[in-house]
Amino acid sequence: MTHFLIRLTLVCFVSISAFGEPDSAVDARAIKIIDDMERIYRGESSRAEMTMKVQTPQYERTMKMSSVSRGEEKSFIRLLSPKKDRGISTLKLDEEMWNYFPKINKVIKVPPSMMMGSWMGSDFTNDDLVKQTSLTEEYDLALEETEDTWRITLTPKAQTVTVWGKIDYVVDRNLMIPLAQNYYDDRGEMIRSLAFMEPKEFSGKLLPSRLEMIPLKKEGHKTVIIYETLEFDPADGTEEAFTLRNLKSRF
Amino acid sequence: MLTFKLAIRNLFRNTRRTILTAILISFSLMALIMADGLMLGMKDLLVSSLTKNLVGEAQLHRKGFRDNFDVDLYFTGTDDLVADLRGRPEVTEVASRVLSGGMVSSSYNVATGMVFGIDAEAETRIGNIKKAIIEGQYLTGERGEIMLGRPMAELLEVSLGDRIVITLSEADGGDLSQALFRVSGIYYFGLREIDHNTVFINADQARQAVGISADASHELVMVFEDLSVSREKTSTVFDDFNNEQLELKSWMELNEDIATMLELSGLSTLVIGSILFLLASLGVINSMFMSIYERLYEFGVARAIGTTPWQLAQLILCEALLLGIGSCLFGGVIGYGLISYTTLHGLPLGEFEMSGIALSGNIATQMQLSQFTELPFYIILLTLVAALYPARFASKIVPTEALSRSL
Amino acid sequence: MLLLKLAFRNIFRQRRRSLLTALSMGGGFYLCAIAISMTDGSYNNIIRAFTLSQTGHIQIHKGNYLLRPKIHTTIDNPFELSTILDNDSSVKSHAQRVYAPALAYSDTDNNPASVRGLDLEQEAMTTRIKQKVTSGEYINANMDDEGYFQAMIGAGLVDALNIGLGGEIILISQGADGSVANDVYKVGAIIGEKDSPERYNVYLPLLAAQEFLSMPGRVHEIAIVLNDDKAARSVARSLQSRMQTQLPDQFSGLTVSPWQVVESTFYKTMQSDKEGNKFSLGIIIFIVFIGVLNTVLMSVLERTREFGVLIAIGSRPFTITTLITLEMGILALLSIAAALVFALPSVIWFTEVGFEMAQPMDVGGFMFSHMRGEFSATVFTTPALIILGSALLVSIPPGLRAARIAPTKAMGAH
Repeated sequence: MTHFLIRLTLVCFVSISAFGEPDSAVDARAIKIIDDMERIYRGESSRAEMTMKVQTPQYERTMKMSSVSRGEEKSFIRLLSPKKDRGISTLKLDEEMWNYFPKINKVIKVPPSMMMGSWMGSDFTNDDLVKQTSLTEEYDLALEETEDTWRITLTPKAQTVTVWGKIDYVVDRNLMIPLAQNYYDDRGEMIRSLAFMEPKEFSGKLLPSRLEMIPLKKEGHKTVIIYETLEFDPADGTEEAFTLRNLKSRF
Repeated sequence: MLTFKLAIRNLFRNTRRTILTAILISFSLMALIMADGLMLGMKDLLVSSLTKNLVGEAQLHRKGFRDNFDVDLYFTGTDDLVADLRGRPEVTEVASRVLSGGMVSSSYNVATGMVFGIDAEAETRIGNIKKAIIEGQYLTGERGEIMLGRPMAELLEVSLGDRIVITLSEADGGDLSQALFRVSGIYYFGLREIDHNTVFINADQARQAVGISADASHELVMVFEDLSVSREKTSTVFDDFNNEQLELKSWMELNEDIATMLELSGLSTLVIGSILFLLASLGVINSMFMSIYERLYEFGVARAIGTTPWQLAQLILCEALLLGIGSCLFGGVIGYGLISYTTLHGLPLGEFEMSGIALSGNIATQMQLSQFTELPFYIILLTLVAALYPARFASKIVPTEALSRSL
Repeated sequence: MLLLKLAFRNIFRQRRRSLLTALSMGGGFYLCAIAISMTDGSYNNIIRAFTLSQTGHIQIHKGNYLLRPKIHTTIDNPFELSTILDNDSSVKSHAQRVYAPALAYSDTDNNPASVRGLDLEQEAMTTRIKQKVTSGEYINANMDDEGYFQAMIGAGLVDALNIGLGGEIILISQGADGSVANDVYKVGAIIGEKDSPERYNVYLPLLAAQEFLSMPGRVHEIAIVLNDDKAARSVARSLQSRMQTQLPDQFSGLTVSPWQVVESTFYKTMQSDKEGNKFSLGIIIFIVFIGVLNTVLMSVLERTREFGVLIAIGSRPFTITTLITLEMGILALLSIAAALVFALPSVIWFTEVGFEMAQPMDVGGFMFSHMRGEFSATVFTTPALIILGSALLVSIPPGLRAARIAPTKAMGAH
């Protein structure tokens, strides 16, 4: 999910920028980048092709998909492989979601209750993808600096609705890209870790091309997302992509 | 009166015979009292183990709510309804509930569950929910409290104080809403259906999460002053609250399978009870017959010296009556002592679990006045009837035949 | 031998007394037998109906599937396991099953559903599924002309999805390989009523379900029905140990559970009911005992004079005791035999016909219209033992007493 990746990145920057008195040069630059990114990413449309590998003790599954999205509200994903599942597509508009299954040639609407399940059998949940949180309002931020990294620790405020006791982001100071995002329980034990790896240039931006999500308490489970291509603001207008008709169209 | 005096004297003349017969009659009475008490106690135990585990004795819903537990099928005017019900003398307590299916997530795992928003205080008077708590404490009405069943707590790998996020669909719209809780209590009913699936939160927070007004609920649960009210539907509530929108059903209508089992159990109890009666009757009749037949010589003498057949019959009947009354008095007193004890302390039947509530081995019997009025009356009547034929037989004997008894 | 002859003669000499004593013994036997038959019967009938409805007597799963059902906790070699079960003499029949939660869709609605893949032929021989068809016909495992597999759906789905016979039902679930399982089926039959426990089930042919869930050749459960329905626990134990010791390579990791474990809530409720019944039976036995006690005592004590004469003419005290005991014993046996003549047909009638109930009961999909008893050895041996035992026991003390009494005193008794 393109916006998913961008959202995560954006979050890191927003959090960094939330910090007190910036140190002149470096931080002024950070703020400028944030401003630029916010201008770029807000309402931005994008197109991507990615591979997702899901590993469990019982099976290993590799899927290739293409996706189109606009902002956080609209996205369209189509499975390209494995062959059995080729053509299965998902349309998301705000909080509503539809699936299309070519084998049975039916479009079905996903009921709200199913939205909590795992996304495509991976270790990500729909919740990860769908939720819109205002991080700075709902979390307390703390910053740790090392030579190469910034570690921002987010602790939820008392009223914040989340299952996590603590989340931290590790950002590469030099490249200004995220390195890791870790989720902890109330006792400080790391439960999930999301690693950002292999940064590449996509449409002129440096972004991580490989995400690995590991649920530490479930042995043998791992989900890997690899971005093969990623375009921002593609030349052909993408509004038609976000229709039910498009679910069934030839590709 | 002579008959009366003679009867008493006869009874005490052959004490052994009298005592033997009296023992049979009194023990039969005792056995019947205990059996009756046990059957009542068992039935009530089975029923209350069900009704006290969330079901209550009757429930009020919007029509159709029970089919799918559709969160949209709530009713309004909760306060008025509750006040109306509480105002009726046969209703002991009413509590309102908000129900919704949802996802229960912890930092470690996620499970589907049924969320029960309850009026914590009132519920303690409805059922055993407070007693089912094994860790932590019962709801106190503070925000963020949640109670989970032990199996669910294990599945979610949580203990007291851990975070829980409940995700559910709001009513009338279906938007997802989420709320944060901290495990405040862990319960165990012993009923898999409840323990694995149900979480309890405070009703007002549930209403907020579901997005309904403070006056709306999905369910009203109530208990009556006596179990018979729900069993026989003797309250007016069953008519007054059944209309186009709402329905009020007794626990039996809500749990047809258990009600069915109870019916079967009731039937077999009836059969056993009848068999008991027949046995007791057989015993009494047999005893009376025997004691009279053994005295044929004595009756022969009586006839020989001029007692009329009718007088003889009268005497025998009078003896039977006195014997019956005396035995029943004796049996009644001992029976009373026995059943009072078992009603208070229960019968030591060893450990067994019933519908999930582990009973530490004691079934309490139930005492009823009828046990001491109807049962003895029947026994005395039986004694009398049992004596009829032998009395007639005795009155018809030919003295010479009777007197020539052999060994 | 003389004693025996004497005993018989005594019994028949005092006909009335003997008859009355025999009546209490025989009547006690009869009523006790009926009581045991009825309580055992209703208990066993309910269990039978319940277990033959869906559960079976024994179920085999992988690991802890029963407590934590997960789609990939499967029995991977069901064919080999079937062969072993086929050759086991205690197994009457068995059936393989596949389970998965799913979302069911029609053109207009959707509803959660529980998918069950059944070996249709085997299942019909093992449980009562075929009798639960309320509309349409029990499906077969073949695809129809249009390439659809058939499905049987619960009555609750008919309303929830607004769908009927011949309609198309779409199922969405997660496959065992992580993919999204999706397929369409034609509704060939409707199972049960709107309030049946099966109302949200969708039954598919086993192969269709395995294909749907991407788990070819694997099953979640094997349900077994035994020839002796009381042997569930012992057969389960022996099967389990056989698999663990003799065939660990193939079948290790499998769990064999008797129905008492599979349906523990039901079992516990029935057990508690049985406990209560036991006590009632205890009371019955108590009354029977008192009845026998009464009549035996009375008959012995009334004959003090007779015994006095016997001693006076030289009988040994011990002989008297033996004589009395023998008489009571024989009388008990004769009464039991006579009562048996009535008890046998009565119990048979209860077992075959039974009491008609005011309202038929639904237990696990099986309609109970009559309350039936049970015909088994226990029904007759237990009361026989009680009667015989009490008669003998009760006759000894007064027999001893009668033997020791001084003849003159005895003969002067009333």
